Amino acid sequence: MPSDHIIITPYSYDQAEMVQQMKALMQQQLMPNAWQWLQEKAAQLNIQGSNALAVAFAAMPRKVGKAIVDISAESAAAFAAIRPHFTINQWSIDRLCRVWLLLQLNTDDEAVYVRRIETLFPAAEMNELVALYSALPLLAYPEAWRGRCAEGIRSNIGPVLEAIICNNPYPSEQLPDGAWNQLVLKAFFTEKRIDQIIGLDRRANESLANTLIDFARERRAAAREVPPMLWRCVALFINAENLRDVEGALYSTETSERAAAALALSQSSLPEAKALLQKNSELSTEIHSGALSWKGLAARMAGE
Amino acid sequence: MCCHTIDEESLQRGEKWPLYKEQIAGMQFFDPHVHMTSRTTDDYQAMADAGVVALIEPAFWLGQPRTGLDTFRDYYSSLIGWERFRASQFGIKHYCTIGLNSREANNEALAEQVMEILPLFVYKEGVVGVGEIGFDDQTAAEEKYYRLQLELAKEAGLPVQIHTPHRDKKKGTTRSMDIALEHGLDPRMVIVDHNNEETVKEVLDRGFWAAFTIYPFTKMGNERMVDVVKQYGPERIMVNSAADWGISDPLAVPKTAALMKERGISVEDIRLVTYQNAVTAFAQSGQIEESDFSSVKSIDQSQKFAGNTVLRGGQAPRVDKDSVFIR
Repeated sequence: MPSDHIIITPYSYDQAEMVQQMKALMQQQLMPNAWQWLQEKAAQLNIQGSNALAVAFAAMPRKVGKAIVDISAESAAAFAAIRPHFTINQWSIDRLCRVWLLLQLNTDDEAVYVRRIETLFPAAEMNELVALYSALPLLAYPEAWRGRCAEGIRSNIGPVLEAIICNNPYPSEQLPDGAWNQLVLKAFFTEKRIDQIIGLDRRANESLANTLIDFARERRAAAREVPPMLWRCVALFINAENLRDVEGALYSTETSERAAAALALSQSSLPEAKALLQKNSELSTEIHSGALSWKGLAARMAGE
Repeated sequence: MCCHTIDEESLQRGEKWPLYKEQIAGMQFFDPHVHMTSRTTDDYQAMADAGVVALIEPAFWLGQPRTGLDTFRDYYSSLIGWERFRASQFGIKHYCTIGLNSREANNEALAEQVMEILPLFVYKEGVVGVGEIGFDDQTAAEEKYYRLQLELAKEAGLPVQIHTPHRDKKKGTTRSMDIALEHGLDPRMVIVDHNNEETVKEVLDRGFWAAFTIYPFTKMGNERMVDVVKQYGPERIMVNSAADWGISDPLAVPKTAALMKERGISVEDIRLVTYQNAVTAFAQSGQIEESDFSSVKSIDQSQKFAGNTVLRGGQAPRVDKDSVFIR
């Protein structure tokens, strides 16, 4: 017999606490009538035959506006404490309210729950898709959204991709290697902030590194720039065969690419890689002193 | 929508852009009826260059009938999704109206299903009305779905964009307005489209907005349009291109503005009929912020660097068309 004291939830984190955090923030930012409207819709959400989900989800910006949510450092930390790597930094209020709305759905029947959320995707406009994909790390039954997430990576709409790729902990936790590698490749092709991919280093793999080396060669052949952060994904897989590609990057005309190549070499256990880095004493020294790091390089590239 | 035979002569280039460009330098235009789904990036680029800052894409007939609900759903979804995003890449703010067009209302089995999904779309962000709806052949089925959609618009508090028929236009226009009033719609919430010299007076007299489509061969020419504005003044009149998959001109609004300027219509009146009146009419949806017209440009810039889409990796947003090099 299961113990009465153990509450089994289909969420991977403390969902009740998350809802409380969101509610506190929403009450601060919403006009009383908008908050009331939202409460009413939430109350109708799980009634059989109600269209409250579709209507409230679509009409959200009409009711709550689109202002950027003002969030304190403490509040941001609280979100990340409840759900690791989850952030609502720079979210608009309609996005927050939409995600909150999804967290009000009854999860008793997995099939019904999944179908109700899946129904929203095919009819969603851009901002709705952004909200839906940013909700993935908070939804119940985490494994149920793998296919949807992989499908989202095929989008060509920038903000939608960004919601999946950047600061979203879901993909690295749930995607199989194939879809994960697609996500990273797509991030490079569409020039997303690579340093904002959660789990980038943890999910590094040889297959991805090989594809990225091919990509780097294509770019060189076409006399186009090679994205410096590419070398971060290659670092642990530097071998005799691709060392010359890293060497090419180390002598690139682009400062960022030289720095990235040096950082990659410093992470490699290949003796030839160590030797190559030694030849560039300036970058080598910067790395050892801590003056040059992936984090610092990413910030510099983003103009921060 | 037209079917014109293309011959050698009609393929010759007409008056070149620079000849009227100076006339409209610095002006801003709002094209409240243009089917961008059928147009290329060259058109977006030309429209942006000519001063079109925002537009409305009404849901319409795609040139051949759809056979299932899913293609309707995907079409509506593309109007609020991909097409809106594509426009933003050129710094143009894209709105749409959502509705079941009159031709396809005649497939009643399908029309029933479409009516069921319309409420899911009309409440979406940036949907500024129910449209284009109304009559084509003036059948009973067309009337039925026109009425149902007027009710939908009323419930959602949205303006209505009425397509008036090509054939039996005058009667069709009158009938469209009669029915709208019968359903209790405020004429100020109804934009009657595709007017001509024969219909405009009644539309204005009854308090509706009168839209004119500048479309070669089958609808208004812009010289006639100038005369209409001279005769009726700028109040509640707006100009659009209705550019689509037929031989049409996405620069119809700026070109008409240039012609108005040349023929002595005041700059303020031109602003009203090529920008402000359409903004005022459709802003009754609560979905149009004029400040968005300029912010879409800055969003475009950031998205360019964040990297997207019609722009492939590292691609510049503009191509120099006169350069022989393609890089």
